[in-house]
Amino acid sequence: MTTTSVAVEESAPRLAGDEPVVVRADRLTKRFGDVLAVDDLSFALERGTVTGFLGPNGAGKTTTLRMLLHLVAPTTGQALVFGGRYQDLERPASRVGAVLEAADFHPGRSGRDHLFALALALAGDREGGGWFLGRERAAAKRVDRVLDLVELTAAAHRRVGGYSLGMRQRLGLAGALLGDPELLILDEPANGLDPEGVRWLRNFMRSFAADGKTVLVSSHVLAEVQQTVDQVVIINKGRLVAFEPLAGLTAHLGGGVRVRAPGAHRLQQELEREGIRATLLDGDELLVEGESSARIGELAFAAGIPLHELVPRASSLEDVFLELTTEEPS
Amino acid sequence: MTDQLLSELRKMRSTRTNLGLLGGMVALVVVFLLTIGLTGTSSDLADHDHQHRVFSVATQAALFAALIGVMAITSEFRHGTIRPTFVVTPHRGRVVAAKVISSLLMGLLFGALAVGLAFGIGYAVFAARGAHLVLDRNDVLLLVLGTIAVTALWSALGVGLGAVVKNQVFAVIALLVWTGLVNPILDGALPGVGRYTPIAASASLTADPASYLLSPLGGGLLLIAYAAVFVAAGGMLVARRDVT
Repeated sequence: MTTTSVAVEESAPRLAGDEPVVVRADRLTKRFGDVLAVDDLSFALERGTVTGFLGPNGAGKTTTLRMLLHLVAPTTGQALVFGGRYQDLERPASRVGAVLEAADFHPGRSGRDHLFALALALAGDREGGGWFLGRERAAAKRVDRVLDLVELTAAAHRRVGGYSLGMRQRLGLAGALLGDPELLILDEPANGLDPEGVRWLRNFMRSFAADGKTVLVSSHVLAEVQQTVDQVVIINKGRLVAFEPLAGLTAHLGGGVRVRAPGAHRLQQELEREGIRATLLDGDELLVEGESSARIGELAFAAGIPLHELVPRASSLEDVFLELTTEEPS
Repeated sequence: MTDQLLSELRKMRSTRTNLGLLGGMVALVVVFLLTIGLTGTSSDLADHDHQHRVFSVATQAALFAALIGVMAITSEFRHGTIRPTFVVTPHRGRVVAAKVISSLLMGLLFGALAVGLAFGIGYAVFAARGAHLVLDRNDVLLLVLGTIAVTALWSALGVGLGAVVKNQVFAVIALLVWTGLVNPILDGALPGVGRYTPIAASASLTADPASYLLSPLGGGLLLIAYAAVFVAAGGMLVARRDVT
């Protein structure tokens, strides 16, 4: 056997034609009849990043992901993967894997047969320059590998109709991984999963990204992906709301500090003299913005005002997310 | 393309749909054969046209073959498997072509089996009742090859129909209403138009003795044209429509 050099080639550094941008939406727009589902959306994701694609239900996330995969045709603009249109890639499934719905299976087909049919369609597999048997053998190998990867080997021969939601989710992932892709696109993968399933998924995405591969994962709940992603693309009503590193999003968190003090009014004056914004909430309560609790405490001490409470307001990423995606009154 | 074809063949083998259709086809052909063969009078059985009618029961397989084609594409839309299918093969034309070819192969198989049943049981009935076979070689040849061709072509037509209609229930209803109601009424009421229908074209191809029909060649070409039009229309629509 002299055909074992493939693995070596794959681990070699990437050269020509491998630009760092893996996913690019360029003024992407999709109109369904009267509904503008995606509106002039642009962003670019680099190799090796894990991106949360966030927005409320109906924001246009699913449509965007489907445009990236040539399932939905853009009205205007471009959806590109690896610098080209998905349908122009050679062996696209060996570069991009996708899980779009939780239940894209025929209930009467076994998990293994579902994967087998997909693996056979993955063009380019030739074992021993093979005809039918060579192709079947190559497909069987791929299927066994991904079944093992998602820990579904034991149930593989059962009909999918009898699978739990978590098992279906893993079967979907197995299908996406058949071609050993460099980019994984997951549409609301955590929907309906139990906490254990969510944890499993999170670990899976982390280990996938740890190999320098790229993940684009959509969700309408920030908390689901918060611990996994490096950056977020947030959209609402088809338009880009935010595209920044997770750390940047956290910076929006200056949610203020709530202070309760008997001399609240006096403290307010003291703070404002220092140029610090403070709003009187109630008789003895203040909301102080843009300042740390420590400095507020020091100023209060210097002015001789006793504090009864000094609490950073419980603002979370989720609040920022809601703030960004909630419609401003017009 | 070979990859897509192998994939489609694997899909066809891995659910019970086609097994059910096979069972239905066998049951229907056997029941029809026995009914026609055993209820006819002795003089019926000696008649050329009656003998043709017995053997051409095998063309019932065409309806089941059409359902194979319809199911091959509509079940993907129904269960959402069309999404992974098109993600793996974004060239949708290749997927449709592979479905047409795999359905044609299944259609050939169904047709051959139905012909085998028809001639096996038909001959046995004639022998048991002492009837002499009056069909000539041409009749038999067209019955055998024509039935197999008809069955295969209907399976291709089914893929096209399924691709156009997309919704599984509607596609099946459309097929049943056409073959069970509209087409027979057209045939009976307006033979001048009726002879250009898919069912009449199929009958021509099997040398059906009815006088209003086209020639076997004409019928065969017309049926090929029907299948081609449906496949082309279905392929074009599937390539253009968004998969949501």
